[in-house]
Amino acid sequence: MVEPKIIDRKRGLAGQNRIRLLGLAYVAFFSIIGTQLVRLTVLEPEEGEARRIAREVDHIPRPDIVDRNGVVLATDVSVASLFADPRKILDMEEAVELISTTLPDVDAADLRKKLNAPGRAFVWIKRQVSPEERDAVYNLGIPGVAFVNERKRVYPQGRLAAHTVGYVDVDTKGIAGIEKYLDNAGAIYTASLAEPGRPTSSPAQLSMDINVQHVVADELSKAMTKFKCIAAGGIVMDIHTGEVIALVSLPDFNPNAESKNFGKDQQNRMLSGVYELGSVIKAVTFAMAFDYGTITMNSKYDARFPLVIGSARISDFHAQRRVLTIPEIFTNSSNIGTAKMALDVGIERHKAFLERVGLLDRLLTEVPETARPLLPKRWGKLVSATASFGHGFAVQPLQGLSVVTGILNDGSMVPPTFMMRSKEEADVLAKQIVKPGVSRDMQTLFRLNAVEGTASKADVPGYRVGGKTGTAEKVVHGRYSKDQRLASFIGAFPMDNPHYAILVMLDEPKPTPETYGFATSGWNAVPTAANIIARIAPMLGVDPVLTQADQAKLDKSRKAKKG
Amino acid sequence: MLKLANFTLVLVTLGTASTLYNLEHTTRAQERSIAKAKAEMVDNAEAIKLLKAEWSSLNRPERIQQLAEQHLGMKRLEPDQIVTAADLRMRLEALSKVSKPEGNVTIDDILKKMQ
Repeated sequence: MVEPKIIDRKRGLAGQNRIRLLGLAYVAFFSIIGTQLVRLTVLEPEEGEARRIAREVDHIPRPDIVDRNGVVLATDVSVASLFADPRKILDMEEAVELISTTLPDVDAADLRKKLNAPGRAFVWIKRQVSPEERDAVYNLGIPGVAFVNERKRVYPQGRLAAHTVGYVDVDTKGIAGIEKYLDNAGAIYTASLAEPGRPTSSPAQLSMDINVQHVVADELSKAMTKFKCIAAGGIVMDIHTGEVIALVSLPDFNPNAESKNFGKDQQNRMLSGVYELGSVIKAVTFAMAFDYGTITMNSKYDARFPLVIGSARISDFHAQRRVLTIPEIFTNSSNIGTAKMALDVGIERHKAFLERVGLLDRLLTEVPETARPLLPKRWGKLVSATASFGHGFAVQPLQGLSVVTGILNDGSMVPPTFMMRSKEEADVLAKQIVKPGVSRDMQTLFRLNAVEGTASKADVPGYRVGGKTGTAEKVVHGRYSKDQRLASFIGAFPMDNPHYAILVMLDEPKPTPETYGFATSGWNAVPTAANIIARIAPMLGVDPVLTQADQAKLDKSRKAKKG
Repeated sequence: MLKLANFTLVLVTLGTASTLYNLEHTTRAQERSIAKAKAEMVDNAEAIKLLKAEWSSLNRPERIQQLAEQHLGMKRLEPDQIVTAADLRMRLEALSKVSKPEGNVTIDDILKKMQ
């Protein structure tokens, strides 16, 4: 009888152990469930939220583009696009008819063809429809026809800043201007604008001032009509920071247009065009000669006879036929004097200097449409002589202006930019191209030329303008034309401490009765620049300083307007 | 004893169940309102963007200039119309006749004197 008892006891023990094991299993099971519950309900949501947001922002949103004062130049708005699933449409004929009558710009035959194409499950009917059109189509109640919200890029300022801002295609991919920059080289910059965890981004800020831009565009278009030009362009730059405050190229285009088939005529002439800038390049030659020390302010050159090199003769437009001092060569824009100056410097050093200031290379900025300068194949004595007054080699107008800003900014050239840049950032990028003393001499010459030289019509009272004019004969069918000209003006103000540089270019200005039959720069590009400066100088915060002569000039012009 | 314990446990279970139900209910309601608010935020952000674009378009300098030329008859700002603070001080000196009267005179006194 003992045996079973022991067995019983053993059994009892075994049973108790089993219950304990079961209890333990239960506790383990429920604590797992419990912790999971806590994890899922209390801890998990944040992670889940983050994941959801990450899904929403799977692509970096295209940032808005604003000007330096925050005015919107490009932004995204949401618009509906109409599509159809042909398999779900019950009555194809009725659908085609209803849609084509509701949306007049949808071609019925074209739509029928698209919808009847076999095996298609998705057909765009019309992209980016207006809210009214959307409601109208919605009310038709055709099965298989639906809308999807798409982002559309709009340019509220229209054609005003079109060349700089550029545009995007229908899939909002940047294909020109800053828009393209934001997609390609500037992708890292674009990403830096995106706000982490939120489907927005801070706007990309341009250096452009839309009001200055408008003034330049306005005055240029007036000049274009007045002088019957085929094209015109203008740039305003901050000399200290290299920021492009305004850049206009006419004719321009409307980036909001449906079809983006813009012609060559609407290209950005300031960047993707290259021009023989003519006499404005003389400023570069003067700076070079000063920098190499081959001339001083007191040097003299004989301009009595045309300069003969081989079979070519270089003569002056405003021929003086006497020995000219350096300031006289500048203010009379003497080709002979400038060419002799370049020859004294020497061919190799001349080329090296042009290389140093960047006129022999393509200028690269954020706006991708840039052109390579057109340079002579071999540098000889004649090439060097003509290049000294801007003939025989063609550069981008912005490039030409950029060099002049360097020459006037105590010799330190800051590469031009279209994005906002601070003085500190600019100082890091600056490159010394000539000695500061040379810069002071050049400032004197620029100012002198506006006071008594070829640019005297640019002297806006109070704003101490200085500048150099240029009238280049255009190359037509391989030879210089006598009556197709390119008139240009490069200047800066206020000349006692140059802050802003301006370039005005008129392509083929015609003489008018008002200009007494002249079509040189001093009669068209220079007065245009003067009009621009008079309007933008107060906007840019340049303090006017009036001399008595200035005041007299103002009173006289006021009287003339009244009378 | 055991009965009482069981009874309280049942009560506790019922209590927690109803609290949980209520909690879940309010949570769902709140989640809905959050979702709604978020959708509203997106809509409003979209509307703000559109209005900003419109504002920018209406403020086109070209349009403002046209309107100003039509309705305001304003002229270009000439440099002699800009004066510095120093120039203003000279004008104020010329007008010094209206300077502060001597002694501790209040506006109230001046008004009384005028009556």
